[in-house]
Amino acid sequence: MVSNVDSVVILSGPSGSFVTEPIIAIMNSLRLKFLIASAIFCVSAVANSKEVQFVRDIAPILEERCWHCHGEDEQESELRLDRRAHMLAGGGSGFAAVVPGKPEQSYLIEVVNHVDQEMAMPPDEAKIPNAEIELLTQWIKQGAIWPGQMEAVAKEKSNHWSFQPIVRPDVPLVDNGSTNPIDAFLGRSLAGRKLDFSESADPRTLVRRASIVLTGLAPTPAESASFLKSSTQNREQAYADLVDRLLESPHFGERWAQHWLDVIRWAETNGSESNMYRKNAWIYRDYVIRAFNADKPYNEFMTEQIAGDTMGQGDATGYLVSGSHVPVATVGQEPSARRQARADRMDEILQTVAASAMGITIGCARCHNHKFDPISIQDYYSMSAVFQDIEFGSRFPELSEDHPRRVRGMELYRQIALLHEQLKKMGSWEENWTGYKELHLPTTKTSKVRITFNWNGVRLDELEIFGPTDQRRNLALASNGAQAFSPPEMAVVRAQLRKVNDGHYGTEGWGCKVAAKSKRKPFIEFTFQKPEEVNRIRLSTNREDFLETDYLEGLNRFNFGGYRVEAQDDNGEWKPVGSTMNFDTLNKKHPERIAHMTRLQELIEQVSEEGPTPSFVARFINPVTTHVLGRGSPESPREEVPPAGLQELEGDLGLPKNAAGRTRRQAFAQWITQKSNPLTPRVAANRIWHHVFGRGIVTTTSDFGAAGAIPTHPELLDWLAAEMMDPLVIDPASENVATAWSMKHMIRLMVMSQAFRQSSQPREDGMVADPDTALLWRFPPKRLEAEVIRDSILQASGSLGSTIGGRSYRIHNVKKRYSQWQVVNNFGSSTWRRMIYQERMRRVDDQMFTAFDFPDCGQVRARRPISTTPLQALNLMNSSFVMQQSKLIAERAVQETGSDQNKAIHRCFELVLGRVPTASELAACSTVAAADNLDLVCRALINTNEFAFLP
Amino acid sequence: MTNPEYLSGHGRSLLDRRKFLGTAGLSTMGLALAGLLDDDGLLAKEPAAAGGVAPIRPNIDANNPYATRPSHFNVPAKQVLVIYCPGAVSHVDTFDYKPELSKLDGKKPPGMPAVTFEGPTGNIAKPFWDFKPRGETGKMVSDLLPNLGQQVDDFCFFHALSTDTSAHPQGENFINTGFTMEGFPSFGAWVTYALGTENQELPAFVAINDPRGLARSGKNNFGNGFLPAAFQGTDFTAMNPPNNLQRPDLVSPEADRRTVDLLQRLNARHLQKYPGDANLAGRIASYELAGKMQTSVPDVMDLSGETEATLQAYGVEGGSELRGQYARNCILARRLLEKGVRVVQLFNGSDPSGGNGVTNWDSHSKIAKTHAMQAEIMDQPTAALIADMKQRGLLDHTLVVWATEFGRMPFLQANGTGRDHNPGAFTCFLAGAGVKKGFSYGESDEFGFKAAVNKTTVYDFNATLLHLMGLDHERLTYYHNGLERRLTNVHGHVVTDVLA
Repeated sequence: MVSNVDSVVILSGPSGSFVTEPIIAIMNSLRLKFLIASAIFCVSAVANSKEVQFVRDIAPILEERCWHCHGEDEQESELRLDRRAHMLAGGGSGFAAVVPGKPEQSYLIEVVNHVDQEMAMPPDEAKIPNAEIELLTQWIKQGAIWPGQMEAVAKEKSNHWSFQPIVRPDVPLVDNGSTNPIDAFLGRSLAGRKLDFSESADPRTLVRRASIVLTGLAPTPAESASFLKSSTQNREQAYADLVDRLLESPHFGERWAQHWLDVIRWAETNGSESNMYRKNAWIYRDYVIRAFNADKPYNEFMTEQIAGDTMGQGDATGYLVSGSHVPVATVGQEPSARRQARADRMDEILQTVAASAMGITIGCARCHNHKFDPISIQDYYSMSAVFQDIEFGSRFPELSEDHPRRVRGMELYRQIALLHEQLKKMGSWEENWTGYKELHLPTTKTSKVRITFNWNGVRLDELEIFGPTDQRRNLALASNGAQAFSPPEMAVVRAQLRKVNDGHYGTEGWGCKVAAKSKRKPFIEFTFQKPEEVNRIRLSTNREDFLETDYLEGLNRFNFGGYRVEAQDDNGEWKPVGSTMNFDTLNKKHPERIAHMTRLQELIEQVSEEGPTPSFVARFINPVTTHVLGRGSPESPREEVPPAGLQELEGDLGLPKNAAGRTRRQAFAQWITQKSNPLTPRVAANRIWHHVFGRGIVTTTSDFGAAGAIPTHPELLDWLAAEMMDPLVIDPASENVATAWSMKHMIRLMVMSQAFRQSSQPREDGMVADPDTALLWRFPPKRLEAEVIRDSILQASGSLGSTIGGRSYRIHNVKKRYSQWQVVNNFGSSTWRRMIYQERMRRVDDQMFTAFDFPDCGQVRARRPISTTPLQALNLMNSSFVMQQSKLIAERAVQETGSDQNKAIHRCFELVLGRVPTASELAACSTVAAADNLDLVCRALINTNEFAFLP
Repeated sequence: MTNPEYLSGHGRSLLDRRKFLGTAGLSTMGLALAGLLDDDGLLAKEPAAAGGVAPIRPNIDANNPYATRPSHFNVPAKQVLVIYCPGAVSHVDTFDYKPELSKLDGKKPPGMPAVTFEGPTGNIAKPFWDFKPRGETGKMVSDLLPNLGQQVDDFCFFHALSTDTSAHPQGENFINTGFTMEGFPSFGAWVTYALGTENQELPAFVAINDPRGLARSGKNNFGNGFLPAAFQGTDFTAMNPPNNLQRPDLVSPEADRRTVDLLQRLNARHLQKYPGDANLAGRIASYELAGKMQTSVPDVMDLSGETEATLQAYGVEGGSELRGQYARNCILARRLLEKGVRVVQLFNGSDPSGGNGVTNWDSHSKIAKTHAMQAEIMDQPTAALIADMKQRGLLDHTLVVWATEFGRMPFLQANGTGRDHNPGAFTCFLAGAGVKKGFSYGESDEFGFKAAVNKTTVYDFNATLLHLMGLDHERLTYYHNGLERRLTNVHGHVVTDVLA
């Protein structure tokens, strides 16, 4: 009996050429056609008594049929068949050409059998003779013995720089007057090209640059003035204080969160056909802002985003569902299309993780081994196995007790509970929780509850009954043993009774109807298995939309009106326990009830907004087994793979194939953040560098593979990566060694460098030797991002709201399910917050800043391109936003300076450009202000290059 | 590089400030500090695009992203008009004549699926309109499109197209961006990126959306994806100018001029601090261009100079209100092409919520009515547009593409009045520069159910379109996130049979 515990298929014994039904089923499920099975088993019957010899039997076949394209001279599809080790490793497809002992798993056998016409070998020819196929099959079955090559191993470790371990290099000894190691590394490179840093930037430039880089906002006139003043006293101290202040500013997190959101193309809609809003997806944005502000160590930041549900940071998993997706509703009815859509959703998750954390382009390995990098198709599907429990959707995020949302929720729930105590003294009451209504009743013990509706027709997707003991146990649920009854004559076609207590929300619900003049009203009864205490009834018509989306026409309609509740007592008599129809009577009897109810409803709305709420931060499903998908097609599943990281980087997580979803993600997060993983810290340090200096040490910030750029300063990058994981530099703020993986520590190091503090003006020697400023002989100026332009305009006019976090400000309509978002107001006072809070609808032009390379959130955007187009000019000259803000800036200037026009112009310059005008500028502006008005002066200032560029 | 012609003396003098660097032996191209393609020259090596050939990255000047750039090889087509019909036009009711359907009307032959995109299937239905031979070539076209039918001798049909999806937005994405997913550059953006444009005073790429609104994939159809924003389609119609084109009502022309002059002075002073900075100079130039667009765009939108005969031929009056509006868009398309706009994409259909009764070609029920309503809008103006282009000689250097995202089924849905989506076979046609005339390429099977002869994928179709524009689809690339990205991903073969 030839068998192997690892083998899926147990081959027949020496005498048997039969194959059992289960084996066929397994083989079919693996898409190995019966054809191969029969070929193999025929062979085993006729040929296995004879020993196949490589030199005599196999080499001639390979030479004749294969080596011309897969030999020493040519390796089509990166496949060599002239070395045993390469046969075992396989070619670009990622499939082993030969698996010794297992012809049914050997790709060579599959292709010579022409199982798939599009991958039939030799190509464009008839099959090779059966006798040859038999010999190959038998040879493999006997162990693929190749004399002299049995020990050879093809698999070599990659020698690509980014996959090599990080070794902290020594800081070079360079005398350039700086103690910052960054300057030492940069200075050495500059010296090699006979360059040096430029002179220091003037304080006004410096405060503008540091403020924008660290907080995304230009400094206010007061901030500039204060820095200038302290600079004259102690330049070094003033700058260090400035950096400390900016790093501690709550606006720091807003600036740096946006960078991260770009990389993972985070948006608040699904994309695709209906492009629906993702309810409360913004709580993830809040998480990111909070993480940056709190200087959450990067390893924790990554871990929480991958497995935050296991550590009380459930909102962090919004990371995993940041990409676009096609919901099942719009995929269509064909099962293959639905499988494809799920595979596409998994791919979005992998792209997020690979591009943001690992700096690799994993998508290539979806169909075949990565062409340049050590990433196999098995790696891709092993990583996909890690995330099999993730689906695009909503859940109540798991939040630790000290999580701000939970703390706030507890606060509000305490107030709600106090009001409940008051209201309980005044009969029943009903609460509107937007997605459902909840009627509170005096606690009643009963085994039968009846709800009678006032309307003639009602529709519910679910009706739930709760009691005071186990507050989350739905007593009405069929699976908890409750039985529902409603008279059959009141039934509605296709809206069956069972749907009222099946635990499923959505469009599939229960309906009940009586004739217009009927004396009977629709009702429903629930019978429990034993008497239960009940005190709440919860009803909804379509709670799925409530949980998943928002800003949709017709959302949260209640198709049931008023109702009353009765409970059967021990004698079988129905006793009223509550009703929505007697509230007026109760209010008359208890006048204070009205105020209580108003307050209660306010609190409910507050807790729905500020407490734990259903949010689009992924929902969990049971993980299915994960197979390698041949050429990326869900219709071609091949071998099963366990959840794992990259094999090249010891990615084996030691997990069984059926490990729980959260266990998989926890183990993966541990792997991705362990210090021996060289990609994570390199990618992180480089990304920070990119956002400080405008371009990375590796310019392709999300591709550290062979197709990406090589580092301009490899030793500096490794020093930074090492310093990030194991800091040695004393943090001046705490006067201690910085925290490991601190992002603020890294940023501080960079902005404290001489390189950051030098002038940005061009120098002839620099422009000649290094026109791209790759070596940083000056600080490289660049056009500001859309957000900085918009936010700084609002700040100049004094309109910028300062609230951190929360729901996005709206610029679009409330839309129908299948329609496009329309921009309805992109300039009014409700939009005067930082642009990170602007509603981010995928692929919708905001009619203002999209022209400034504001991303469409379709694909990963590790770096924004910088365009210069006439449409930008038109938007910044003529939009309602700019006209209104120009007026507000002018008004503010006048208000702050009085009636003297020149003083007002001075103030406009300070507000917009952070400096005073020159005499000639003042004269030019006066002319315009006199001929027209100060608004137009501000309009011109907003449009200047000086305003639009980082100095 | 010499200073661009379109710049004023003022703009040119600003650019001339780079002279001091010129003396240092630098080409001005080297000055792009954070230019449009700041990876250029910084990549580890020139990685091969998937497919193994070296990419040709357009040499883009940050000063002037729309400068005319050479094609990869010489072709007659300099411009392209894409007429896009969202919703999926039924090929078996328009251009793909299948007599077998009449024979099997009401039957369900073996091999037809039980379930397609929207659910259970019904029986075969004969075409809802009669087919007749048209033109000298005798090409069979149905009575649904009599005006386009008259011009078949100029058309080159693809009858064996097949796509990868049966959902509209993914289908629109696929044919217009080469990927079913979100976020990839549109065909128009790729062409603009490759070739720039001839007329700097109009947008290089104009998307004329349907009067009822955007199609289902919205901006994806004409977006820049991950290309720089400079290459996105500018969105306007005969009725609605681009956003923020005109000075605000409260600002007089003189006051507007004074603002611009003040801005120039402020910028000139600032540039002294950064002599020779191409990005700053480029931004100054962009304001001058914007100023020119403020007159050139209204000029091109102004149809008052069109003759009565033209208006009549396009069907501006005498049909439905929507036909009139679409007809105006067709005239606008011709005027834009006459002015040298590189890419014009004209939409005939919107999103399902957009309009009155019928919004696009999607016809899951009552196809006889809905296709007729849509055809009334599309047929005459489109036919007049192509005829007009021919008569004015525009077809000599303009490629015309008429496209939809997939076809419709030869059988009805279970409801018995509409046809479901058919990704397996559909028809599009080309006309104009570089294309065979009166030619049909590929065949669907006897039912029009699947591509049968010379199956043409969307990749092949797009590869052919780029080829007709003088661009090698394997070499026109943009580095994004680890890959030399192409319109055709790693697929596609040019269909050389259709080349004139």
